[in-house]
Order: sequence, then C-alpha cells, then structure tokens
Amino acid sequence: MTTVDMPKGVVRRSRRAVARSAGGDRTRLALLGLVLLLAGTGAALLGWGVFGRGRAGRPLLDPMIVDALRAQPLLWRWVAIAAGVLLLIVGLWWAVRSLRPERRPDLLLESDAETRLLVTAGAAADAVAERAAGLPGVSRTRGRMVGKPGSPALRLTVWLDDEADVAEICRRLDAEIVTEARDALGIAHLPVAVRLELDTAKSTPRVA
Amino acid sequence: MRVLLRTLAPLLGLALAAVGVLLVIEVVAAWVRPGSTTGIVVPWQAWQATLRDTTWSDRPVLVVSVCVGVIGLLLLLVALLARRHDVPLTSPTPAMTVSTSPRVLARLVGRTVRASDDVAAATVSASARRVVVRAEGWPEDEGSLKETVRARTDALIDDLPLARRPSVAVTTRSRKEPR
Repeated sequence: MTTVDMPKGVVRRSRRAVARSAGGDRTRLALLGLVLLLAGTGAALLGWGVFGRGRAGRPLLDPMIVDALRAQPLLWRWVAIAAGVLLLIVGLWWAVRSLRPERRPDLLLESDAETRLLVTAGAAADAVAERAAGLPGVSRTRGRMVGKPGSPALRLTVWLDDEADVAEICRRLDAEIVTEARDALGIAHLPVAVRLELDTAKSTPRVA
Repeated sequence: MRVLLRTLAPLLGLALAAVGVLLVIEVVAAWVRPGSTTGIVVPWQAWQATLRDTTWSDRPVLVVSVCVGVIGLLLLLVALLARRHDVPLTSPTPAMTVSTSPRVLARLVGRTVRASDDVAAATVSASARRVVVRAEGWPEDEGSLKETVRARTDALIDDLPLARRPSVAVTTRSRKEPR
C-alpha cells in the first residue's frame, strides 16, 4: 500500500494513537494561567501608579462601580447567576473530561438487521500484542485499542531486549503482524502507534 | 510535568465549579433575604466593607496581585512544558507511527558507550535533537577516549532508524587512578 492510496485520516489516527492527548487540558490550563497572569500584572501596575496616582488611590470596591450596579440590580443579579452557572458547567465539564478514562473501542466487523459481528477491544489488541511478542528481540508487548468507535487505532508498546534490531522489528510489525491482523479482521486500514521501550537489563555478576 | 498537569486539571475544574456554586448560592440568598447582614457560606458583606476601605496601592493588594500573577505564570509554564518529548523513528508505512522516549535513547547510548574497555563510567542525556555524553575512563592517550565514545555513539545513532539525526556532544575525563 502506498502513501497515495492511504486515506489521510489513517495517518492522523496513527499519530494520535501514540498517547492519550493532553491538548485540551493544556489549552484550558494555559488560558487560566494567562487570565491570572494578566489580572495579577494589571492589578500590580495599577497599585504601583503606572496608570496614574489618582487611580492607585481609589478603593478596590469603587463607589462608581457600586453605583452602576445599584442602578440596575435585577440585571446584575441575573448576570451574576449566569456567570456562576457558566463557571459551574465549565468547571464540571473540565473535571469530568480530565478524569474520564480513555476510550477502548471495539471493532465492529459486520452489522445488519439480524447479525452484529464485534471483536472486543481487549481481544483484538491482545491478539496483535501476543503475536508481536514472538518477534526476535522483543521481550514483551502490550496492546490497546484507542480512538473513536468508528475509527479505532492500535497502540502497541514493545519492550526490546539487548539484541533487538529496531528497524527490522518495525518492518516485521507492519509486514507481518499488522497485515495479518487486518486480513484476519477483514478491515482495510488499522492505524498503529508503536512505542518502543527498553526492557530492564538483567544484572549479571561481573565475576563468575 | 504531565503528571502535574493531570493532577492540576481536575482540581482546577472542581475549583471553578465550586466558585460558580458559591456565586449562585450567595446571589440567590441575597436576593430572597433582603436586609440580611451576612452571607450563607461567604461573609461577603464583611469582605465588601474591607474592599471599600482598601485602595489599589495598599501593600496587601500589591502582594496578592504579584502572587496571582506568579501563580498564573506557573500555570502557563506547566501548560507549555507538559508536551510530550518523544523521539520519532522512521516507520515502514504512514499508517504506523513509531516513537520512543528520550530515556530509552539515553539508555541505549549509555549501554553502548559503557561497553568499551576504555570507559569506566558514562552519563548520557538525550532528546530528539541532541545527545550529550559525559564519559570517564582510562585512555591510552589523550583524545582517544573522546574519539572512541564519539565513534560508538555515532555508530549506534546511524543504526537506529531515527526520523531525525540528533547532534552528538561528547565530553570526557581521564581517570588518574589505576584500573
């Protein structure tokens, strides 16, 4: 199979399968950090009189602001309640998304009105991992299906021993193991992310 | 850094949610209990009085402002530094992504370097762009240890199917004591 007839989504899915994405958490944390940084810097500059001595000497709860709030109490109450509800929803959504375990999609091979042929995520990943563990230079493996139910990918962690030929292992993983899995499951594409680890060296005595 | 991110993210989410709940409770309570002298959970009327008597140039305000700014900067740094530092390897097909960690690359280089008879000890740090080797040993002549270490490191990196060849920096130190 060449790159030309490989759907773009397959390549993207194999890249995304490398590890659980922390992009959302990083973006939200960066936004929160930026807001706090700007607020803290702004308040400090205001207090040091950068925006004028008069402004620095005004109270935190400025009577002008209090008067403006008291002029429209009903409006500002609703604004405050809406802000509170928004914070509650955003905060809970963030916490739930951060704590939610990663999806392990099953492979749906056939589905019609009467039959539904499904390979569970664990069975598919374990079968590939077990075959990969038999390659020379590989001491152990761990497989896991990741991604969305309609577009799964395989994350394969491979622990290498001292004599491992990394390039050869990668070639055989693609040419033999993943191709076999695709043929056996009857699917055209199975994006794979391989993570190479080095197995702990067995300690041998320096003196026999 | 990613562990810190994974820990901070749900905690901050819950903190935001808690602030939202408190805000709604206090606003509704103040609305339905006009004339009340204190809040249900937060003593906001005492806070209001304090805020009315405190100016922006007061020392506590400046200290809190700087603290808030520093916390914001730290959160921003955690978010920026919590990216993955994988070492990409060439893959036989675009449908396969192969990567390893800098730690594995450093261990491979360290093991190769230490296998030399001239090398007594070696420390290696690695990233996708740079491999730094610090070795100590008993060279036959000055400079030969550095050449040996560099040759071994280069040979290993040439053998590995790395997507990008990292630059190699070698520093050596000759041991004076006997083997």
